[in-house]
Amino acid sequence: MENLLRFDTGLMIWTWITFIIVLVVLGTKAWKPMIKALEDRENFIRESLEEAKAARKEADKVASEYEAMVAKARQEAQEIVAAGKDTAERMKTEILNETQVKSAGILKQAEAQITTERDKAISEIRTQIVDISIAAAEKIIVKSLSREDNERLIKDALKDYGQN
Amino acid sequence: MAQGGHETSTNIGEQIIAHVANSGEMIHFELFGINLSITKHVIMLWIAASLLITVALYASRKYRSEKRPIPSGFTNAFEFVVDFVRTGILIPTVGKNHVLKWGPLVMSFFFLILTMNFLGLMPMFNYINHGHGGTTPTGNFNMTAALAIITFFAIIIAGVLEHGFFRYWKNMIPGNVPKAVLIILIPIEVMSMFVRPFALTMRLAANMTAGHIAMLAIFAPIFILHNAYVGVASVAMNVGITFLEIIVSIVQAYVFTLLSSVFIGQSIHPHH
Repeated sequence: MENLLRFDTGLMIWTWITFIIVLVVLGTKAWKPMIKALEDRENFIRESLEEAKAARKEADKVASEYEAMVAKARQEAQEIVAAGKDTAERMKTEILNETQVKSAGILKQAEAQITTERDKAISEIRTQIVDISIAAAEKIIVKSLSREDNERLIKDALKDYGQN
Repeated sequence: MAQGGHETSTNIGEQIIAHVANSGEMIHFELFGINLSITKHVIMLWIAASLLITVALYASRKYRSEKRPIPSGFTNAFEFVVDFVRTGILIPTVGKNHVLKWGPLVMSFFFLILTMNFLGLMPMFNYINHGHGGTTPTGNFNMTAALAIITFFAIIIAGVLEHGFFRYWKNMIPGNVPKAVLIILIPIEVMSMFVRPFALTMRLAANMTAGHIAMLAIFAPIFILHNAYVGVASVAMNVGITFLEIIVSIVQAYVFTLLSSVFIGQSIHPHH
């Protein structure tokens, strides 16, 4: 039993010396490079994941922007088409109105002209009838009636004619 | 015959102790009046250290030459254990920022203790000293005490490096404590400073010795009863115990390393 619990300063000192050698040799040549490599790998993986996440976010953003742009362009196109239709409709109405107004004017003018022409023709006919009647009456009753009598008679006759 | 059997059984305790204890001086060596004689445990320590240095240098060769090495085969297996110590022991105790500073010490503890624990399991070192017992160097409390003393100083150095000499000692006493409590608290803190390495020493040494004592005790009936059938049963049981001892070797290396790392971490981050 004394053997098992014997103090052995020699073993303690050898343990320290050996441990320090292990610590110095492996500390510089094995543990530190390995810990650094593991930390570096860990950081590299984490950064790569973060970058991938950021890239995906950016791609999503670009895609949504693109979608918004397409939607906006579609809406604008629809607006342009709608505006074109409106303009065409308005122009059609304007043209129709204008044409109606113009044709109404032309019609009115034509009617006025016709009326004028008719009045003129009637008065011409009247004059000619008077002349012809006078001439005829003159020939028939050239001596029996004076000129004043003839005119009076003709006027009376014409008055009747006008009434008829 | 009966007397002989009786003699063996009374001697069996001593026999077992002799088998788990260190050998006597194999080469006498003295320096400045200190006995530095070479014993079996010193030789086993050197074998363990040489083996560990060789294996670790071989396994880590890629890490010294390449910037971002991709491990394979044995290097990969070795890296797995190193990463286990890093993420399982170092990061949770000393914190991520102190891993590079305290990693080498903690890694050296773990791997050296583990190698020595495993060496003790190999039944070949009895031949070093003319058939004397195949013992475990980590079952010798002188060695575990030497390792625990390293932990003891590492705890103080870690605290002093982090907080400065005076702040470190002040950190041991929590703030806002009535003076009357301090009368009890200070002796307790001082005691715990010494109890912790003492517990580390005894836990490792006792655990590593216990397995060998159990195995030898199971073998003892062979020599007491001189019966071959007992031998079959003893060997079968000891095969089982050897598997158990493999687990104990890993667990005890882990426990010593983890507790050392926890104490160093407590010194760096007090009041947690």
